[in-house]
Amino acid sequence: MTQLPSADGPAGSPAASVALAVTGLSVAYGNVVAVHDATFTVTEGDACAITGPNGNGKSSILMGVTGMLRRRGQVAIFGAPAKNGDVKWAARHGLTLVPERRQLYPDLTTEDNIILGCYTWTRSIGKARRSDAYGRAIELFPELKPHLKQVAGTLSGGQQQMVAIARGLAANPKILAVDEPCLGLAEAVAKRVYDVLAQIHAAGTTLIVVEEAPRRALTLCNRRVEVRNGIAVDSRGDAVPPGDTPDPDGPYPPRNAA
Amino acid sequence: MKFGNLIIAGITTGSIYAMFAVCVAVWYRVSNILNLAVGDFAMVGALGVDNLYRVKGLPLPAAIITTLAVVAVFAYLYDQVVLRIAQDGRRPIEGIVVTFFFTFALSFFIDGVAKVLFGTDVHAAPTLWSGPSLTLGSLNFERSGLLVLACALIIGGAFWLYIKFTLGGKALEASGENSVGARIVGIDTRQYRRLIFVGTAVIAAVFGIVESPITGFTYLSGATISLTGFIAAAYGGFRKPGRALVAGLSIGVLEALLGGYVSAEYGDTVLYAILAAAILAWPRALGFESAVSG
Repeated sequence: MTQLPSADGPAGSPAASVALAVTGLSVAYGNVVAVHDATFTVTEGDACAITGPNGNGKSSILMGVTGMLRRRGQVAIFGAPAKNGDVKWAARHGLTLVPERRQLYPDLTTEDNIILGCYTWTRSIGKARRSDAYGRAIELFPELKPHLKQVAGTLSGGQQQMVAIARGLAANPKILAVDEPCLGLAEAVAKRVYDVLAQIHAAGTTLIVVEEAPRRALTLCNRRVEVRNGIAVDSRGDAVPPGDTPDPDGPYPPRNAA
Repeated sequence: MKFGNLIIAGITTGSIYAMFAVCVAVWYRVSNILNLAVGDFAMVGALGVDNLYRVKGLPLPAAIITTLAVVAVFAYLYDQVVLRIAQDGRRPIEGIVVTFFFTFALSFFIDGVAKVLFGTDVHAAPTLWSGPSLTLGSLNFERSGLLVLACALIIGGAFWLYIKFTLGGKALEASGENSVGARIVGIDTRQYRRLIFVGTAVIAAVFGIVESPITGFTYLSGATISLTGFIAAAYGGFRKPGRALVAGLSIGVLEALLGGYVSAEYGDTVLYAILAAAILAWPRALGFESAVSG
């Protein structure tokens, strides 16, 4: 196995602190166990990919870690043990989710969708409008400028994804967890989404990206957690080169193949 | 100026319908439950103030404050006990039909208690602003009607400002639009469900108090009020307070015009025929399909 040089950023440097530590995480829907005993850490400044086939529990890991779903096991955000099922706590401590299928508020304007990200840390709309986090979130997406007063439900899929990311940024996260950001998007739009994620990462935000297509994720990420049948395998260290995956171009073969 | 006076009367009753419709629609947005008890809170407001003031001899301001406080506490407890068990547990009870029964039962419960406490006669809260009706040219303005309109404008306006210009109001909208998306940014959707339930109960009680001198209330009046609120709210698919407001006002004005020009006896029949025909003609535009499917 080839070791890639860890030239990009603080990842791998021993001084960097642990942003997210997950120990023995299990998530279940009723009797169906989606994630079984996952243990991994994400270092501050990392861009960590969580990859694996569809329906193997990638998203459930993020749902459990952020508190959207109740979980078993421990999650620590910058050393502080996270409360189970408390999304607000996680957001206040720097971990924000950009969920799968975006979960916007379709009848609210683009601007309102984005500014609601600030609800994690303030109740004052004035403070939210003047904040750096909101300003940066708007700045990052010049293509949204003409649509700020338009209701979000009428935006294109790519624009909606950008609104979802902007809302995540308005929460002023230290760790941004992005779930399947390119689902259903055209290649050119997907590339733009990844460019933006790279910019966010370069500005110092730790990234966690759930992605079915490993090659795309690994253009950005310096390390990766592989999920198979609800069991997470931490790659520990630098990026796994795309050659290691069964089909680097995208979707994995079906679970029962071969 | 028959037409002008009919319009004034229509806007007055229409604003009552509109307020109840908005109460139903706003709470449905955040809770996905239709509040059948909203009219019963109005009835308790009217008869409670009447009972405390006329029978128990409390001064009027004290009677009003006590009644509103009782309504608020009762609504709070109902949310904390019944809705909490029903919706916040491991297996939340969902679906428009099943959850309907929560407030249906609540409505019957309130009616039963009201019958024991207030009797079965027609009563009304005392007129808050008495005197001969005001005239402007040939137009007549009943003082009670003006009071109703003023309450509608103040409460409706305050709510509109809250939604438009505060982050809390936008969070309220967001939790109605997408509860998963709302939780992601740390919005406590249960807190809004509770806030709006208690808020609309108190608003309904206020309207019961200011409206009752015009119509008079019995312990059974709640159901009729809820029904008109429902019909108006349905014109916005139960989810659009703005449309519910317009529908409520239009129904009021239409009712007054039909009563004045067509027939006093058959006005209501014609009104409901028109409303039904409108639904059949434009089900999608009026929001009825979204009411059924979602």
